[in-house]
Amino acid sequence: MISRAFLFAVVMIYTAFAAGPFLWVATMSLRTTTEISRDHYAWPEKLHWEKFPDAWFNSNYSVYFENSLLVVISAVIVLTVVGAMAAHCFARYRFRLNRLAYFIIFSAIIFPPQITIIALFQILVDYGLYNSLIGLTLVYIAVQLPLTVYILESFFARIPADLFDAARMDGYPEWHIFWKVSLPIALPAIATTVILNTILLWNEFLYAVVLITDEAKRTLPLGIQRFMGDQLEDVGMIATGLMIAIIPVVIIYIFFSEKLIQGMTAGAIK
Amino acid sequence: MAGKKSAVPARALPLLPAERQPWGAIIAFLLPAFTIYTALTAYPVFRTLWNSFHTVLPKKEEFIGLANYVTLAQDEIFWRSVKNTFIWACASPLAEVSIALLLALALYAKIPGMRFFRIAWFTPVLMSYVVVGIIWVWIYNYDWGAANAILRVLGLESWARAWIGDPKIALPSLIFITTWMWTGFNMVVLLAALHSLPSEVIEAAELDNCGWGAKLWHIIIPLVKPTLLNLLVLSFIGKMKIFDLVWITTKGGPLWSTETVSTYTYKRAFEWTTFDLGYPSTIAAVWFVFVLAAVLTLTWLFRQRDRLEY
Repeated sequence: MISRAFLFAVVMIYTAFAAGPFLWVATMSLRTTTEISRDHYAWPEKLHWEKFPDAWFNSNYSVYFENSLLVVISAVIVLTVVGAMAAHCFARYRFRLNRLAYFIIFSAIIFPPQITIIALFQILVDYGLYNSLIGLTLVYIAVQLPLTVYILESFFARIPADLFDAARMDGYPEWHIFWKVSLPIALPAIATTVILNTILLWNEFLYAVVLITDEAKRTLPLGIQRFMGDQLEDVGMIATGLMIAIIPVVIIYIFFSEKLIQGMTAGAIK
Repeated sequence: MAGKKSAVPARALPLLPAERQPWGAIIAFLLPAFTIYTALTAYPVFRTLWNSFHTVLPKKEEFIGLANYVTLAQDEIFWRSVKNTFIWACASPLAEVSIALLLALALYAKIPGMRFFRIAWFTPVLMSYVVVGIIWVWIYNYDWGAANAILRVLGLESWARAWIGDPKIALPSLIFITTWMWTGFNMVVLLAALHSLPSEVIEAAELDNCGWGAKLWHIIIPLVKPTLLNLLVLSFIGKMKIFDLVWITTKGGPLWSTETVSTYTYKRAFEWTTFDLGYPSTIAAVWFVFVLAAVLTLTWLFRQRDRLEY
């Protein structure tokens, strides 16, 4: 009985420790800075919902949000198609250099970002894609490609080969086998990579800070950082901005927590 | 992790002889991925290596041989940042994984509302380092931050300090943030691993009345060892890359006490008014070798130990 109570205490303390900071930001996002500076830990007396439209329209968060949305959605669509095609190929065809080609792409997972980022900056400048959302999208596709191929390949490889042999016997062309057999079966794995990539790219900061400087092209993390730099004292407004970035992630998480946990932990369990 | 997966031979492939493979389809499937990979991963890597032997100013590039490497060898800030990054990359995995294992074991016995707790613990990992960084700048605020507020409530006023403003404790304070962020993730993974173990083994150990410590050391750890090692490597690689959190909280300060290789490279490339991209490329090239060497060593080390025990 005592050990059970102790266990429960541990769980509660750890949960408060893990989630508490977010709850704190949530309360601050609904309070004015004046209220906050009176007591940083008080519950909101009056809910200042108007702070959200204020941040959205007057502090440019609508622009940041749209940019993030645009970049993330386009990158994830391309990533999913390109990654699934490559993963299908690695898993289904036995050809010379298969494992080598797979390893070349996979090994990029451990590359530190510095090894490409300076040259990426030069390349995008050369091709007029510096400071453009298209350039950032292309870079995001390249950055997430190895992980996407890795997750999808391991799933495709587990689909029984009989299915494909049967499709071949029936004379399906190779493209149809991918489109009509592989993809529908792999839908759960594809959903996992879509959600995972969406969240990772939504949060991405390093590539964005190097490749984007225009105010009108900033993504959310950049916008938040800029706002933090400009309005250091305006804790209440910064908190509202943080919530604008957090809420989409939380919504995705509420609906797809199992999928996400699977995606994040894929490969770690043996 | 990297080595193990790729060492697995191609499996479950259709039984066509190699010469009858549809090469047209194979090339069509791989072409988009390899185009992107070549243009935006492989080429940049080589261009960075090339840069590292040059002075790269806008519109002017000049070959200078190993001069950048010689400068780098004597660059105290660089070595400081290497030291900081390695401290981070070594301390974090140990802290995260060991705390996570203890918590996971405590929770192995099912607890009501497990699903809810699991979701709550996982939350920090889903937030960007920018969001987390700003929140922790507030938590570490000297006057009203939660860290000092809690110490004051506990009557430990003298322990209150400027957590990220003091060069002596700034780095541990940042390491604490990543530990806060990632422990939940490690715990969820370990719980899944524990639950996938055959329960007879653990029950048998309980019947044999072996002590808690012995059970942990002789039965549970060996059983979840592959998962533990994976988590350690994963955490290590993540910390070798760390940039965002430092950039938002301390920008490498005070006095380079939290400078990591990523932040230093960024500063030399895009903040300092030297405008030379050659030198930061040298930093990147050397660091690239360090990371590869570290990951290969870890994989090799963990494999050796596997082999010895089985």
